[in-house]
Amino acid sequence: MRVAIAEDSVLLREGVTRVLEEAGFAVVTQCENAEDLLRRVRSVPPDVAIVDIRLPPTHSDEGLRAALEIRSTQPDVGVLVLSQYVEVGLAMKLLADSAEGFGYLLKDRISDVKEFVEAVRRVADGGSALDPIIVSTLLSRQRADDPIAQLTPREREVLELMASGSSNQGIADRLVITVRAVEKYVSSIFSKLGLPSTGSESRRVLAVLLYLRS
Amino acid sequence: MKPADPRGPPQQVVIATLALAGLAGAVYSFTSALRNPAVGSALGEPLVVALLSNWLTASYVLCGLFAWWHRPDSRFGPLMVAAGFANFVSTLSWTTNDLTFTLGQAFDLLPPVIFLHLFLAFPSGRLTRPAERALVLSAYVAAVVLQLIRMTFGSFGPNNLLEVTPDADAAVLWLRIALLTISAFCLAGVVVLLLRRRGRQRPLRPMFVLLVDGFALGLVMIALLYVFAAFDLPGVRDIRWATFATLGVAPLVFLAGLLNVRLARSAVGVFVLELDREPAPADLRDSLARALRDPSLELAFWLPDYGAYVNVDGRAVELPDLQGRATTLIDRDGEHVAALIHDPALDEEPELLDGVQAAAGIALENARLHAELRARLDELRSSRARIVEAAQNERQLLERNLHDGAQQRLIALSLDLSLLEARLAGDSQAKAGIEQARVEIAASLAELREISRGLHPAVVSGHGLAVALEQLAARAPVPVELRVEFEERLPEALEVAAYYVVSESLANVAKHAHASTARVEVVKEHDELVLEILDDGVGGADSERGSGLRGIADRVEALNGRLRVWTPVGIGTRVKAEIPCA
Repeated sequence: MRVAIAEDSVLLREGVTRVLEEAGFAVVTQCENAEDLLRRVRSVPPDVAIVDIRLPPTHSDEGLRAALEIRSTQPDVGVLVLSQYVEVGLAMKLLADSAEGFGYLLKDRISDVKEFVEAVRRVADGGSALDPIIVSTLLSRQRADDPIAQLTPREREVLELMASGSSNQGIADRLVITVRAVEKYVSSIFSKLGLPSTGSESRRVLAVLLYLRS
Repeated sequence: MKPADPRGPPQQVVIATLALAGLAGAVYSFTSALRNPAVGSALGEPLVVALLSNWLTASYVLCGLFAWWHRPDSRFGPLMVAAGFANFVSTLSWTTNDLTFTLGQAFDLLPPVIFLHLFLAFPSGRLTRPAERALVLSAYVAAVVLQLIRMTFGSFGPNNLLEVTPDADAAVLWLRIALLTISAFCLAGVVVLLLRRRGRQRPLRPMFVLLVDGFALGLVMIALLYVFAAFDLPGVRDIRWATFATLGVAPLVFLAGLLNVRLARSAVGVFVLELDREPAPADLRDSLARALRDPSLELAFWLPDYGAYVNVDGRAVELPDLQGRATTLIDRDGEHVAALIHDPALDEEPELLDGVQAAAGIALENARLHAELRARLDELRSSRARIVEAAQNERQLLERNLHDGAQQRLIALSLDLSLLEARLAGDSQAKAGIEQARVEIAASLAELREISRGLHPAVVSGHGLAVALEQLAARAPVPVELRVEFEERLPEALEVAAYYVVSESLANVAKHAHASTARVEVVKEHDELVLEILDDGVGGADSERGSGLRGIADRVEALNGRLRVWTPVGIGTRVKAEIPCA
């Protein structure tokens, strides 16, 4: 799998490259600003582009704009945005109308190599990876007449994993249960929340997030 | 204050003598006209001619004396008297005595030129511009010289002492030359008056305008009369009456102007009454403008600490160096207080200016203090804005340094530890140690992230207020209904201030309100960002809670906005901030 990285801190860029190469990825592009990234991604399309949200020259939203541009012009390229801060509003803006091939993680997550590599792989495959903070923030949100309160603790765990982009297999592995059991939990959650169940694992991420945010 | 003019009013005996001389001259000329049959045949109805012509003599002499008495420092009065006597001299041509007849004829063209002089010299009686002086001087020379040349060719009857070579054709030719020349000078005078009017940037006072328009009309009438007379066109008689009437009205209008000043002086009384009601400093200018009858009046206050003039709002103003504006400086107890910027015609009414200044003393001093306060408030506001901005820049820099330095290094360190951990096959104790270190680093990173966020909400500068507020609402301890009704980015300082308003208010909701829901509304109205945060809690915010809001009030006020808090007990709390976007 081919990866492009845009990160202005040399330490992190080298570290991430090392981690991914050891995990069997081919890092085809390493650059430190959004302009270079966009040019390289156009000429050598990777399976996934890992983009720091704050890039030179102004360190405000250059990375974000590059991520949005890749998503709209090259939908086959997965985009994983790394950020110092994780914001619900920003996640919704980045997701727009699809969670496919998209990830948004706190930079700190890089240090958990196993999880990070898995997230990169998922996004490269067209899946999603949303930072647990976003999901837990949305879940912790108080609601009047809250259907979330009706979920069992197990269902809540499944919901969190599902919302952050895990596949049924991933959830099953994490919770050490069968895929069949996961499927049962998922359909129970959807009916309790009054959501129509959707086939695709990516599409259900967006559906759940939109539900949680409303 | 205007320095006192050393010139005093003319002595009463001088006034009386000149008045008697003028009246006697008018009566003498009147009787001469009635006794001389030639006057009737040359000009028409002798009684009307005599009346109108001598009205000019008498009215200019008397009005001139009145003006001289009232405005001894202006030359306009004496000039009017001179115009009256010049008119008298020209009427000597109605006498039958050779000497007086010749004298009268020689100066027959003088009155129109002295009228031209008079009108151009209004109101000071002085011609200030070299071009105008040259114009008037040439007109005098032409009026006398051309008439003398003409008289040498005869055609003036038996009393002409200057007749040298009688020649009727030459006489007519020189008559035309003389009349057309004078009429050209008069039209040039009209042009000067029109140019002056166009050059003015401010409207003149109405009486002044009426008078100057009257002067221009008088000059046009003289020019018209002389053109008609030069070619003996039909209707010359009617034009003569109209010209005489126009010129005869001018002293009346002038007199009315002087009386108007007396009325204006009674306006000082009204002004004093207005001051007694202690007008707001902003209304003082209007009262002064009414009392001085100068709608264009401007008021500037002297602030010694700043070494500058300011208007009533405390904004610096320059004393105008404009043509057509005059400045009167006002002192009080030896201290410079203010400046009046006004119509220069007011300089002709020094008593009025003095009276108004004297009456306005304390009110002006009050208004000056008010202006000084406004200037200091402006200064304070901008220095507060600078302090808030400097602090914000400092915090932003710290946040950047944390992000680019410590945070990145910690993440890289944690990454290295992970790689190390993967290589440590089997040594479970070492692995546990590394895992422990990574947990510690993760905790440090989480702490640093909170510190960074407190220092500067980078998400606001990076992605805008609307995006950042969503996170605040999601993290709030009570359900928050968020309504953000604009999409564009606003200036960063404004977005950051707005962010803190919402975050501080929601923090207060969490700490004190015991609320079950809250609502945040952010809208843009008339170039203002309006933020409202409402909760349904217990209200009655205590002073401690108020002090929590003090910091954000500073931010909001530094941006010229305002922050208000309502916390009725039992109903909830409402925080409203309005910040100008421009």
